[in-house]
Amino acid sequence: MSFLQPLVLIALPLMALPVLIHLINQQRHRTIPWAAMMFLMSAKRMSKGMARLRHLLILLMRVLAVGALIFAVSRPLSGGWLGSVGLSKPDATLILLDRSASMEMQDLQAGESKRSTALKRLAELLAQGDYGTHLILIDSASGQMQEVDSPKALLNLPVTSATATSANIPAMLETALAYLKANESGRTEIWICSDLKENDWDVHSGRWNAIRQAFAELQGVHHFLLAYTDPPSSNLSVRVENVQRWQRGSTAELVLDVMVRRTDGSTGVQQLPIEFEVNNVRSVVEVELDALGASLQGHRIPVDGKLNAGWGAVSLPGDANPLDNKFFFVFSEPPVRQAVIVSDDTKVGEAFRRALAIPMDNRLKHRVDVIPANRVAEIDWESTALLVWQAALPRGLVAEQISHFVNSGRVAMFFPPGPGAAGEQLFDSQWGTWHSSGSDTVSKLAWWRGDADILAHVESGDALPLNELRTYRYRALESPGTPLARFDDDAPLLTRVVTDHGAVYFCSTLPTAQFSSLERDGVVFYVMLQRALTEGSLALAVASQRDAGINVLADREEWTSVAPEEDTASLSEIGLHAGVYQEETHWVAVNRSQAEDRATTSSVDAVDALFDGLSYRRIDVDVGDTSALASELWRIFLIAMALALILEAALSLPSKKTESSPLMDLAPADGTAD
Amino acid sequence: MALQLRRDYLNQQVLERLSTLQLHARLPMIGNVSGKHRSPIRGSSLEFAEYRKYVPGDDTRRLDWRAYARNDRYYIKEFEADTNLRMCLIVDTSGSMGFAHTPSAATEGDPDMSKLDYARRIAGTLAYIAALQGDAVGLYCAGETFHKEIPPKRSATHLGTVLDELGAIEASGETGLADVLHETAERVPQRALIVVISDLFIEPATVRNCFEHLRFRKHDVAVFHLMEQSELDFEFDRPIRFVDMEGGEPILADPTVIGVQYRRAMETYLESMNEVIRDTEVDYHRTCIHENYGDVLARFLLGRTPKKRK
Repeated sequence: MSFLQPLVLIALPLMALPVLIHLINQQRHRTIPWAAMMFLMSAKRMSKGMARLRHLLILLMRVLAVGALIFAVSRPLSGGWLGSVGLSKPDATLILLDRSASMEMQDLQAGESKRSTALKRLAELLAQGDYGTHLILIDSASGQMQEVDSPKALLNLPVTSATATSANIPAMLETALAYLKANESGRTEIWICSDLKENDWDVHSGRWNAIRQAFAELQGVHHFLLAYTDPPSSNLSVRVENVQRWQRGSTAELVLDVMVRRTDGSTGVQQLPIEFEVNNVRSVVEVELDALGASLQGHRIPVDGKLNAGWGAVSLPGDANPLDNKFFFVFSEPPVRQAVIVSDDTKVGEAFRRALAIPMDNRLKHRVDVIPANRVAEIDWESTALLVWQAALPRGLVAEQISHFVNSGRVAMFFPPGPGAAGEQLFDSQWGTWHSSGSDTVSKLAWWRGDADILAHVESGDALPLNELRTYRYRALESPGTPLARFDDDAPLLTRVVTDHGAVYFCSTLPTAQFSSLERDGVVFYVMLQRALTEGSLALAVASQRDAGINVLADREEWTSVAPEEDTASLSEIGLHAGVYQEETHWVAVNRSQAEDRATTSSVDAVDALFDGLSYRRIDVDVGDTSALASELWRIFLIAMALALILEAALSLPSKKTESSPLMDLAPADGTAD
Repeated sequence: MALQLRRDYLNQQVLERLSTLQLHARLPMIGNVSGKHRSPIRGSSLEFAEYRKYVPGDDTRRLDWRAYARNDRYYIKEFEADTNLRMCLIVDTSGSMGFAHTPSAATEGDPDMSKLDYARRIAGTLAYIAALQGDAVGLYCAGETFHKEIPPKRSATHLGTVLDELGAIEASGETGLADVLHETAERVPQRALIVVISDLFIEPATVRNCFEHLRFRKHDVAVFHLMEQSELDFEFDRPIRFVDMEGGEPILADPTVIGVQYRRAMETYLESMNEVIRDTEVDYHRTCIHENYGDVLARFLLGRTPKKRK
């Protein structure tokens, strides 16, 4: 329990006042001579039991009445979780608000989302109490700190509105940590409002140890987690997995793969209407909904053949979360999948060309060029999707061109040059020496990453036959990148260097038979290159799908919002809300990430464990429950005081004294003379 | 003059008012001279008592010849014997009789009057009335033992002695009333009117024994049970140190705490006393000392007046 006027509690010793008055009264006795002592002694003997207890109860009621009055005046607040914090007010209060799409799950009766519920309750709580000299808001969408004037302002700020983004709770805590260290704040309360989504919390991340340790070093920081731990209510979410535009003569059509995810866990089969909107033309398709949801593969929508690019949306009927009922998509003509192979070795270059020249889809246009290293200047960087570099690592202008190429979202794959030509350092990576296996032994892969990236399992779930790969010679690599496949001796076969955009791979062997069985076995080599080419082609497409986020659209000024029409986002909010944005000929559809659609939440135990050793309290709340987190309890104490006084009065009432007993009447009694 | 001072508790107006009333015994008395009270012995008064059969040896002068003429049988005509009364006043002089609580405005009487003062007035007035009608008056003062013992006599001088002694008694010490009553029952040789004036702060069972003893000895017993209103009400609002007037340990008590129990104990006592009175058939008068004692005595005397035979 905390108090709005804690200084009043200094008066608590006044509770002893009734006892003191009683004792003083006892001392102020007067002395009188008394005749009827036999009755007095008898009364004293009788009063040792219930009468004494009654008298003690009267005293207790008086003490309680005074105590209740003092507590009422001190304006106590309810909420046991506030009790552990103590009575001192915080110097600063930080609010870490999860604005992710899943926080828009609503209680349909109350019409309040998780986010709005949390904001209202928190604003009310902070308005009642003292939140210190600084009230700081860190929202998950921007990740930025913002000082808020008053708790009530939280309800109207643009940075507390709903977004389609995902949250990064560890990053928000790191921001809070940086603020606390920079400002050397004293007692601080950190309020985290979240629905504990697994992707938002990433409880298995190694960052948590560092965060926990850093907070442990700070004094007077108290964490409160306003958690929505209740299971997700009935909700459907829609997502366009794939959209392609195919031209057939003068007409064209869109082919969409649509996925509907169901999170209510019910098993009933029902029909669900899905509404498509393309070029202001609406159509409805009914799908059968099973326990997991529904899938609509290869749904075709005819479009004007002259419409090379455009946007559309897929909608579901309204349910608990309005944010995941609509998914925007954009489409355009598929770009030419152009790959450039730089190699001085004709045989090796031909091996790459053969693997890239056979497209995965015949309808896609493609082009592969093999050029030697001394003709790099001829590369058309703008239209190239994949660069395969099998030569010494370049430097100077070419190195800069490759960096720019990668930063614009394309893919570069580096293969080792021939013996002796190590080259320069590029992407902090550098080739080392060649390693050869013995005549009877070959290097086999001990591990590769099959869940993601270009060596991932195929759609059926089967792994690529990397275990059959034989490597005779490979070149060591010094790189800070992440290995995607490793040999027995831990040397990497394939490494991905982390970049902001695009992708950079280093493969430590060559495909020809002299080095490995990559070309001979073929499957791994082909899939690897085609996937890299596909990834690079995405950057060439005029239209692209992106997950909502603060940095999803570079150069925000140049992007204009196309859809939804009724919701024009401010400049700072561009990219945070689902919609379609256009920049000259480029289209981008921004939607919530796939993880937001999943109903998986981190267990409360796992989340609680993240705050082990810290001052932390989790408050479980329900969606739509806007009852106060802490309410003033003075009425209860006043009622308690009144009850105590009434009880005291009842106990003090003379039980039968007022009843005149005929025996006590001193009118002359009749003797026996009558 | 000194004698006059010791008798100033007597109120002349009350004496004059009560002089028209007579003190009657409820039981036949055995006196040594002729008086105004019935005797168990047949005598020569004008009051016809009964007829009885003649037996040889009876005085033939007392034969009722008219009855013989009607019935042809010999009857002796007997008459009541009138005798005088011996009244023994037993006044409790224990410390508790000195209690005099300041009364409220609503109460009557002398504000400083103690129970002993009141007893003095009752006893003195009764003695005066008895002496006036020729009865013998005696005084027994009951403290822890007999403080004073004046056997009943009929002379005017003796009345003066009794009244003087009444004016001189003081309340002190513990009560020995029970022993005094037992001893009185044994010491008074013939039937007498025993008037007990006390607050009777002793166990009802003890009182019962005393009264039964007196009744067994054929005494006519009258009791003035003196009480003070505050002893019944026990209405105090602050802790009080009660000092025992009979020398016991003082008690510090909060009347607001023990008031109910006190009144309950008092009620139980009075109930027991009523049973004692009912069983022993004594002439009992529970009296508040703030009441006019003249009224109390008038009620007492009138209550003892024999009803006329029809």
